[in-house]
Amino acid sequence: MKSRKARLMVCFGVFCALLLAGASWYSLACNGGRLVYPMDFSTYTFRPQDLPMLIACGLVILYVLSLAVLLVRRVLANRRRQADASTARAINPKFGFLGFLGFLGFLGFWTYHIDRTVFPCIFFMFFGFFGFFYEGKLSNTLMDERYRENQRKAQSAANRTALSIIFLATLILGQGRLIGSLDYAFIAYVSVVSLAFALELFLSEFLLYRYDHDETPAGYED
Amino acid sequence: MPEFTCRLKQYRLLKGLTQEQLAARVGVRRETIMRLEKAQYNPSLKLAIDISRAVDAPIEEIFLFD
Repeated sequence: MKSRKARLMVCFGVFCALLLAGASWYSLACNGGRLVYPMDFSTYTFRPQDLPMLIACGLVILYVLSLAVLLVRRVLANRRRQADASTARAINPKFGFLGFLGFLGFLGFWTYHIDRTVFPCIFFMFFGFFGFFYEGKLSNTLMDERYRENQRKAQSAANRTALSIIFLATLILGQGRLIGSLDYAFIAYVSVVSLAFALELFLSEFLLYRYDHDETPAGYED
Repeated sequence: MPEFTCRLKQYRLLKGLTQEQLAARVGVRRETIMRLEKAQYNPSLKLAIDISRAVDAPIEEIFLFD
């Protein structure tokens, strides 16, 4: 993204945040906190005093949507560039430490007991970031036909493994009563699927590194 | 992978090329040439043609399939 466009997005974000803060203050001071405090929208009737908050919320939603569109376009452009590139992307192996964020998944067990939400269990997916250790080691490697073949082989093996785990989990945990409670079966299912995705991310990088570096023949000579 | 014999090393040395130089000429990594010479990698038709041109030898002389 060009710096001018980035500056514009940041300014728009700050403007939205200030507008939302102002609208919230107005609502609390002059409108009894409507649309700030939780309310039942099934009985909502429009009042002109709600307008500042509605406009601010609309702009924030617009801003978030434009950020999402920009992010998707950026990811797609990066993928296209990577497909045309002749060398593997350069990445610092230290990004692999982000894999420790996977432990955030255990928060799901805590939040389940607090308010019965299991959403944090999907953070187990972050364990997949450990693959950056291996991707980092392959930074700037010339992607010749053997590299691309190994990449396809590694990706295929990783996908097969993850899908097998998800299939087995669906088959076993889908019965619902295996752990004695449907809730626990659901938590286990979300955790297993997240871990399977993490394994897929990790394995595709790890296997590529293995295929590319192991079994080095003794025939190197210049 | 089909079994084959690769005589690339012989033709490469005849041309006085190192693995590194040959790799640079055909646009692959040195490790790929190393595995080719050990017949541990089955190259694409394009790479086989590029190699044959780089070492001035016919493909069927470099890669011998049973």
